[in-house]
Amino acid sequence: MKENQLRLLMFLQDLLTLKKEIQDFQVVEQYEEMGFALDKKEHIEESIKEVTEKLDPELYHRFLQIAEKYDRPLAPVKNGVCYGCFVSAPTGSKLVTEHQDIIEFCNHCGRILYHIS
Amino acid sequence: MELKELFTESNVTLELSANSKDDVLVELIGLLHLDEKAREMLFKMLKKRENLGSTGIGKGFAIPHCRSLVVDKLKVAFGRHSGGIDFNSIDGQPAHFFFLIVAPPIEISNYYLPVLGKVAQFCKSTDIEIKLKNLKNVDDFLELLGSFAV
Repeated sequence: MKENQLRLLMFLQDLLTLKKEIQDFQVVEQYEEMGFALDKKEHIEESIKEVTEKLDPELYHRFLQIAEKYDRPLAPVKNGVCYGCFVSAPTGSKLVTEHQDIIEFCNHCGRILYHIS
Repeated sequence: MELKELFTESNVTLELSANSKDDVLVELIGLLHLDEKAREMLFKMLKKRENLGSTGIGKGFAIPHCRSLVVDKLKVAFGRHSGGIDFNSIDGQPAHFFFLIVAPPIEISNYYLPVLGKVAQFCKSTDIEIKLKNLKNVDDFLELLGSFAV
């Protein structure tokens, strides 16, 4: 079954956040002091690969382009404001993926937009 | 921020009924009152986090946690399972007490790691597992958290 492309992108972003976190020596030290095991850190790469393989290639390319500019290529929209650049009425260009999902980009900063409940 | 400020009757249960690690995660996520899509995404993310190393810290405690875009602020939940669940904990013992902690990738207040640390500290308190086991209701849990002032 096809997976929603925006959700996959959000999942990818979360995995990249986790990857960054476990590459930070100070953060890992804090986790270990708390008693958490992080003995299988290498699994993060497999997870990232799994997700990227399910993404529409054009969309993934756009994601990587935005990621070159911003640490987090996705931004939430609340009350019509992009929480990446804090400009209102941000919806700009749209990309229809090969899976027929519509991905919206902020008109101002170009980030991929998502709504949270 | 003190731990007691984060917990209410709506995000605490003393009667988890799950039969597996995955089911515990699902039940805990349910206490965050998110929509279905967000719940699904959070479950997948928590599973990925568990794959890097179990969050079962021993003594009957597990603290599943992650950062995720599906929440816009720090969210927590607590659940107690009387029978215990195999959570691949570091001491190999079943987990009975579960704290779920989820935060967005960026928080202005930056509570995530400090709260995680406070929960871990709480779990390491002397005889805390006995006190948690003996709780009669959610109010008792909230009172117990308050008495620790962490």
